[in-house]
Amino acid sequence: MGEAIVVTSGKGGVGKTTSSANIGTALALLGKKVCMVDTDIGLRNLDVVMGLENRIIFDVIDVASGACRLEQALIKDKRFDQLFLLPAAQTKDKLALSEQSMQTIVAKLKEQFDFVIIDCPAGIEHGFRVAVTGADQAIVVTTPEQAAVRDADRVIGLLEAQKISSPKLIINRIRPQMMKNGDMLDIDDIISILSLDLLGIVPDDEHVIRAANQGEPTVMRPDSPASMGYRNIARRILGDPVPLMNLSVDEGGLFKKMRKWIGLH
Amino acid sequence: MSRSARSAPAKVRDLVTVKGIRNGLLFVLADDVDIADVLEELEHKIEGQIKSDGTLTAYVECGQRKVTDDDERMIRKLFATHGNLIVGGFAGAPTVSSLRHKDPYVFKGTVRSGMLIEHDGDVVIIGDVNPGGQIIAAGDVYIMGHLRGSIHAGASGNHQAVIAANYFEPLQVRIAHVVRRAPDVRTRPAEMEFAYLDGEQMAIEQMAYLAQYRAKMS
Repeated sequence: MGEAIVVTSGKGGVGKTTSSANIGTALALLGKKVCMVDTDIGLRNLDVVMGLENRIIFDVIDVASGACRLEQALIKDKRFDQLFLLPAAQTKDKLALSEQSMQTIVAKLKEQFDFVIIDCPAGIEHGFRVAVTGADQAIVVTTPEQAAVRDADRVIGLLEAQKISSPKLIINRIRPQMMKNGDMLDIDDIISILSLDLLGIVPDDEHVIRAANQGEPTVMRPDSPASMGYRNIARRILGDPVPLMNLSVDEGGLFKKMRKWIGLH
Repeated sequence: MSRSARSAPAKVRDLVTVKGIRNGLLFVLADDVDIADVLEELEHKIEGQIKSDGTLTAYVECGQRKVTDDDERMIRKLFATHGNLIVGGFAGAPTVSSLRHKDPYVFKGTVRSGMLIEHDGDVVIIGDVNPGGQIIAAGDVYIMGHLRGSIHAGASGNHQAVIAANYFEPLQVRIAHVVRRAPDVRTRPAEMEFAYLDGEQMAIEQMAYLAQYRAKMS
């Protein structure tokens, strides 16, 4: 029996889809059987980021409506045999997917996979409720911006109301230099406001944009800072106590010096 | 306490005040003396009121007194046996101070963005109040945590309500009808402070002053 994890944020554009793709791929990289589910009906992106857009035949709405079997809609990743994607429908409305059918789909996927990563749409309306409904755990993605933290806070409140126990936090797109100068919200400030366990931090990295455009998740490249962030996150999901990556900007280079290891737990 | 001592205030002021209102008579019963004295006085007043021929509707207001079922039955009996008065309404409008007697509402956890806590009495939060979180209380609001959200204390008009927090950094505070937003630049640490009304002005003071303020007000 696998575990369903929803990746959500409230605010759009903070990196839900990028995080879903990279966490899913990183878990597959660590030998787990993973299925990613895109619930952003009408604005599907996860297939593009994964470079699987041209392989879509059936989607999650077809499964929900009984137009095809679940196995028919699952797309196998081109890099890993153990990694699958259940794509969203592009031409339908969000209301086409009900909470009931989502629960059924997620329950079926959990039987076959170690991890079901659910990519949640932005907002807190119907699409959010559907994405969250079958999940056992939640990952809240935020960036070091006031607006993103506010929205994350709202979403955490909604998740708590949905009885999803203690969501975990990812702080995405950190710019160490700005954080050091005090131009960006500090990691400690964000944790103190949201009072959540930090699952990981991901530095802002040009390579993420390049990789997304090429349909290749960042984690495939071992040397990029964001890739290391996501790999650490995947290891922590598996219960590995990986220390937080050092973001110190001094001593010439961002991540060359891993001097100061900060324990997570 | 002897009977005569209890009856003493009767000579100073009326235990029962009768007011003519648009649709009948309003009997205001004093709420700070023994109910037996009030009933005695009420009986006299009712007898004195029997002048008109038609029936009149009587409204009874008991102020802050907690009227038991027995008391109510006695009062209704007095009206029923004396004259042409029909009891139209009972008990007084609830006032702010009576709301404040309600048990405080204690919330444990973080009041997050989008959450609204409303209560007819004091509110105690064991945790933080985040930006976008809101608390509306008829009484005081005490936050054992970091206040970053918006608070309305004394929402039904109580000017003596206070807002206190371990770390006082609200977006906006309201007491009764007075609104104050956070200063754009803080000049001192925000630890252990409370907000109160000094006349029509909102004031922020160190928590140590809260007991003094309360003593001054009572």
